[in-house]
Amino acid sequence: MGADLAIRDLVIEYSSGGYPVRPIDGLSLDAGAGELVLLLGASGCGKTTLLSVMAAILTPTSGSVRVAGTEVVGLKGSALTQYRRKTVGVVFQAFNLVPSLNAIENVMVPLRGAGVGRREARERAVSLLERVDLGERLHHRPGSMSGGQQQRVAIARALAHDPPVILADEPTAHLDYIQVEGVLKLVRELADDGRLVVVATHDERMIPLADRVVNLTPRADTSAREPVRRSLAAGEVVFAQGERGDLVYVVDEGEIEIVRRRDDGTKELVAVMPAGSYFGELAPMFGLQRSADARARGAAVVTGMGLREFRERFHLGDARLLGDAAD
Amino acid sequence: MLFVSLRDLQWRRRRFLIGVLATGLVFALALLITGISAAFHNEVIRSVNAFGADEWVVSARATGPFTTPVFFPQSAAGQIAQTNPGVQTAPVVILRSTVHTTRLRDLNVIGVAPGGVGWPKVHDGRLPRASGEMLVDHSLGVALGSSLSLGGTRFTVVGRTDGVSYFAGTPVAIISIGDAQRLALGDQPLASAIIVHGTARTLPAGLRAVSNAAAITDLRRPLKSATGTIDILRVLLWLVAGGIIGSVLYLQAIERTRDFAVFKATGVSSRSVVAGLALQAIFLAMLSAAVAILFAFVLTPTMPMRVDMAGSTYVVLVVVAIAVGLLASVSGLRRALSVDPALAFGGA
Repeated sequence: MGADLAIRDLVIEYSSGGYPVRPIDGLSLDAGAGELVLLLGASGCGKTTLLSVMAAILTPTSGSVRVAGTEVVGLKGSALTQYRRKTVGVVFQAFNLVPSLNAIENVMVPLRGAGVGRREARERAVSLLERVDLGERLHHRPGSMSGGQQQRVAIARALAHDPPVILADEPTAHLDYIQVEGVLKLVRELADDGRLVVVATHDERMIPLADRVVNLTPRADTSAREPVRRSLAAGEVVFAQGERGDLVYVVDEGEIEIVRRRDDGTKELVAVMPAGSYFGELAPMFGLQRSADARARGAAVVTGMGLREFRERFHLGDARLLGDAAD
Repeated sequence: MLFVSLRDLQWRRRRFLIGVLATGLVFALALLITGISAAFHNEVIRSVNAFGADEWVVSARATGPFTTPVFFPQSAAGQIAQTNPGVQTAPVVILRSTVHTTRLRDLNVIGVAPGGVGWPKVHDGRLPRASGEMLVDHSLGVALGSSLSLGGTRFTVVGRTDGVSYFAGTPVAIISIGDAQRLALGDQPLASAIIVHGTARTLPAGLRAVSNAAAITDLRRPLKSATGTIDILRVLLWLVAGGIIGSVLYLQAIERTRDFAVFKATGVSSRSVVAGLALQAIFLAMLSAAVAILFAFVLTPTMPMRVDMAGSTYVVLVVVAIAVGLLASVSGLRRALSVDPALAFGGA
């Protein structure tokens, strides 16, 4: 049953609206059998993308993902199918049960798809549904089950082939607090049974249950920092698109142009920041990557400061910053 | 995995039933026009064979006995019988006319010598024995003993044939050759064809022998454009049926995109996904074919024309329906194949 996860230098980049997006940039992670790993972070930080790579559904730009000794990146054909069947079980966001099938049939799908006989598949499905306390709802369709019950059917489906790794995407997203309790307990039990359970969530209530928490959205650094004054030559880059950063910049002299790179290699001028204006506040504030390059148009001087100094200097609240800033 | 497809059909049963009924109706129309086309085909064979001829003799200028009335002396029939020992002949006059029954009807009129060869089998009643008597096909819809006016002359229906008609169901009326000559030829002793029992090796000048097969081919010629049009319509109906099946399945494939993605993400092969959709196409097509056969049974008696349904027509319908269903489902199958399993990770 035991399986180890080893992720090395993982980079995932894809196109979104014509712009390159790199939600995962150089991630390395190790986890072992019996662990419950939380991938925590805000929407768009790459949690689900990372799960897709672990499930061998998405191919990363570079890096390595090894699960139970198998290199997942580059799996093809029957090896890929076998990996999806035998090594990982996925609990999808919003359950994604087939509406025309009842609970037993939904759990039978991966089994029948793998060629397991009808009777055997049925017996296994019933046993799994009983294990997740749905013995009374075997013949109910998803439409006549609560969110928590549907989530438990989805978990039973993920367990169909008794895989050593369970990947769960936002398992508490569509549940009320009563339903959440049962699902959290079940997720913890899966890890206690010796499985490696990786959960992508932004629900911080799950943190106490986890053995390991990977925060994909770094928290804003609000500690006091000395402002850094930089003199820039024409064309010199303040920060580059895709980088993480914790400084907000104020233009003291000259002009800074904000340029966004497109997929096709062309560049789009987003804004020109004159002396006295500020830029680059959203990335440190929300833990986002820089969404554009910032570079000097001619000779320029900028001052980089931490969020606390920035707020003090400009006497701004968060709401005002969100409305005015260019990042 | 086939259970998933069957459950899906149950789940979307209303749409599926509408698809089956619509496709079944289109298949039924295809079946009926196939039957009408077959009836055109068969009536010619049946009618030519009804006269029991081994061959026909016509003017050398005529293309066949039924389509080109080129007249020659009736006495040629006797000459042929004399010069070809063992051969029996009967001169005939073949005309077209109209008759009032409940409405004005077209009629193929054939004059044959009473008591001789060349009379078709009587279905009910008897053969005409005297002038003023008529043997007419059932399809004219007149009873025995009815009186009909043909070119101003009254005839009494004394017998009826079954299935003797040509030119797309126009019934044949058979009268004595003398009556036919009085009606159309001013009582001249002329004939337009001679029915021959046996093989006439020697023929009078200006005449030629025509086999039954050649007579059939000649008689089908005027209907060629009609049967050609029917064939085109039949293909169009198959296409319409294919369009209905295709759109039902394509819609199904679009709506089930998330399901397919989940199947693939959980290790179900694309082949199983595609096989499930193909099964739905076959099921839809076969059920539609069954409905079509039912429709055809109900509609056939209401058709004003004869509709000939051979057992093989139904077999062909089922085979073609499956082929049409599978071809029509190609776009849906391609869609299912192209579904990215990553879609399974999407939210609600």
